[in-house]
Amino acid sequence: MDFRFSEQEEKLREEVCQFCHEEPPENFPCEIEDEGYGFGGWSRAFTRRLGEKGWLAIAWPKEYGGLGRSIMERFVAAEELAYHRAPQYGHLFGDAVGAGIVRYGTEEQKKDFLPKMARAEILWSTGLSEPGAGSDLLNTATRAVKDDNDYILNGQKIWPTGAHLAEWCLILARTDPEAPKSRGLSTFLVDVRSPGVTVNPIIDMSGAESFNEIFLEDVRVPKSCLLGEENRGLPLVFECLEGDRFWGRCLRHAGSKKDLEELVEYVNQSKYDGQNLKENQVIRDMLAEIAVELEVCRMINYKAAWLLNKGDSISWESSVVKTFADELGQRIANVGLQILGPQVQLRGKSKWASLRERFTFLYTFNRGLTLAGGTSEIQRTTIALRGLGLPRS
Amino acid sequence: MDFSFTEEQEMLRKIARDFLATECPRDSVREMIKDEKGYTAELWKKMAELGWMGLIIPEEYGGIGGSFLDIVALVEEMGRACLPGPFFSSLIGTLAILEAGNEQQKKELLPKIAQGELISTLAVSEPDVGYEVDALQCQAVAEGKEYIIDGTKLFVENAHVADLIVCASRSKDSTGHEGVTLFLTEAKSPNLTCTLLETIAGDKQCQVIFKGVRVPESSILGQPHRGGEYLKRLLQVAAVAKCAEMLGGAQQVIDMTVDFVKERVQFDHPIGSLQAIQHHCANMMIDLEGIRYITYLAAWKVNEGLPFGKEAAIAKAWASEAYRRISDLAHQSHGAIGFCEDHDLPLYSKRAKASEFAFGDAQFQRRFVAQEIGL
Repeated sequence: MDFRFSEQEEKLREEVCQFCHEEPPENFPCEIEDEGYGFGGWSRAFTRRLGEKGWLAIAWPKEYGGLGRSIMERFVAAEELAYHRAPQYGHLFGDAVGAGIVRYGTEEQKKDFLPKMARAEILWSTGLSEPGAGSDLLNTATRAVKDDNDYILNGQKIWPTGAHLAEWCLILARTDPEAPKSRGLSTFLVDVRSPGVTVNPIIDMSGAESFNEIFLEDVRVPKSCLLGEENRGLPLVFECLEGDRFWGRCLRHAGSKKDLEELVEYVNQSKYDGQNLKENQVIRDMLAEIAVELEVCRMINYKAAWLLNKGDSISWESSVVKTFADELGQRIANVGLQILGPQVQLRGKSKWASLRERFTFLYTFNRGLTLAGGTSEIQRTTIALRGLGLPRS
Repeated sequence: MDFSFTEEQEMLRKIARDFLATECPRDSVREMIKDEKGYTAELWKKMAELGWMGLIIPEEYGGIGGSFLDIVALVEEMGRACLPGPFFSSLIGTLAILEAGNEQQKKELLPKIAQGELISTLAVSEPDVGYEVDALQCQAVAEGKEYIIDGTKLFVENAHVADLIVCASRSKDSTGHEGVTLFLTEAKSPNLTCTLLETIAGDKQCQVIFKGVRVPESSILGQPHRGGEYLKRLLQVAAVAKCAEMLGGAQQVIDMTVDFVKERVQFDHPIGSLQAIQHHCANMMIDLEGIRYITYLAAWKVNEGLPFGKEAAIAKAWASEAYRRISDLAHQSHGAIGFCEDHDLPLYSKRAKASEFAFGDAQFQRRFVAQEIGL
């Protein structure tokens, strides 16, 4: 047992930390604001800068523009960026798609896409959910019909984050409507700028503009953009999702550490109802509980990173990561609002206004995290079936 | 980063698991709850033969010279088996001697402990004090070359079968500086009364009354009047070891529940195929994963000699509440059968409660964590 990072991992962490001091991430413009779960905002400029450093493709093979280093190093770099609230959102979905291309892509696809992704010349979103296929991806209705060397796509996708900012989108579509539901789906790499693609942003309840709906009307996709085998899209998507569940949530402990620190600072300096907040035992207990949970969250995330790094599956462990992180996010936001008091409802310019606004945002936005990327209920079912071997219903 | 035990530790776990499965079946656990002593000499002897009492004791004092992580691996298995008896409580006494004892005390006591011939325990809590070391009431007053101890200690585990009780008392030095002193008191000392308490878990916790108990100066463990900081550290190590025991128990509770819900048929299907039950099980699993890695982190820090106070408090805060949630859901999933006195589940859920309080419950730990995060 050893919970130290290796010398090489620590060296990379140091480099990333140095970089964040020299080029403060907050100085980069964001197209989507920080959503508070570790990935920071969506910033093309910052993602480009990471691309220049080689940090978008730390664990990808060298021949495709990667650094050919370990998954643990990739994790350490992301964790360090998260401590600095750096905007990493812009390449989050590219990570998942990139993993799919590395694993299932043709040589041509690898050469075409990966080096460009490593340099952030193209950004990605993922189009899986549909109005009738949320948790139940088997119900995917978007159709892809073969037409000589192309596929023609028709249908509607909903919730892809950043589709209005990305150039490409991974689309799950039905290629064989006659086959059993799970055997007729395929995945396509779709250029969002293709004729027939319409992207409409959806404003969520926190006021953020990150989600979209995508309409596909006779969109012509060349056969060379089919990822993996035809009709074998589902296992590929599940594998991508497994990684996505981890990579999309594994930075909660790092990202929220600062939120806790800022709440502590606020409590140490503030009074309410004639009492110094720091002398309020209930508040002290609530914050300590968050500190406990963040540390537990950190270890759960490290465990999954360690498994991934040695090439093991994290089929149910990633569900533990996601569920724990997302529900913890809601608790943190809740505690924050309770401590910050009724003034959280206000927008203003007082000293703590930005802290209040952040927590009000977290409170609303975190509602969505237990839904996005697979609901907590779906994760629990995964843990029960795959982690504990319970029978299917 | 490495989350795995060494090969030797895995071997130790396996030997312990197999041994306890044979030698400590649940029926015998239930018997020991009713038994006043709470363990059999026969099992104790076999455990001593396996070297367990001397696992943490260096070879020069007749032990095996194992590490704290070895102990964690072993104690986890003991938790899984719901092992009755004074192993754990004596381990804490042993740790006290190992850390604070002088050469003479170590030479005299540790070999006997390693042989299983001497049992010790730690007495801290009192009727109005939990583990807040600075609030202890029990007093030790110097008189010549002796100290006279007065006070009541509560929840002293297995004191009724212990040979030595490590007693934490307030004391003053000649300049009037007040502090805590640890005394190695003979359990059979005159004026020391030990009463076995009835507890929900049927574990053997005692009230020990010191009414003018005279102990020689030579029985002081560590520095007189300066034992407070050391005692806090010892309690934190004990909390980590307790977490390991709780981890084993929680794992067993989940295994038991998963086996049950796969077998139990209602509405023509195993209830484990119902999402309501599956989600109970998933919640238990999430809590268990949390206990496991936070415990290992704290244990590893103890093992490496790194600062571990914060991690120990965090681990015990989490484990205390997570184990309780796990056993609550286990009961809900088992239905009425788990409510029966002779079912295995209550053995664990009642122990979970006892463990929650041992070495400080979640709120106590969070008071410490609050300071650590700068409040």
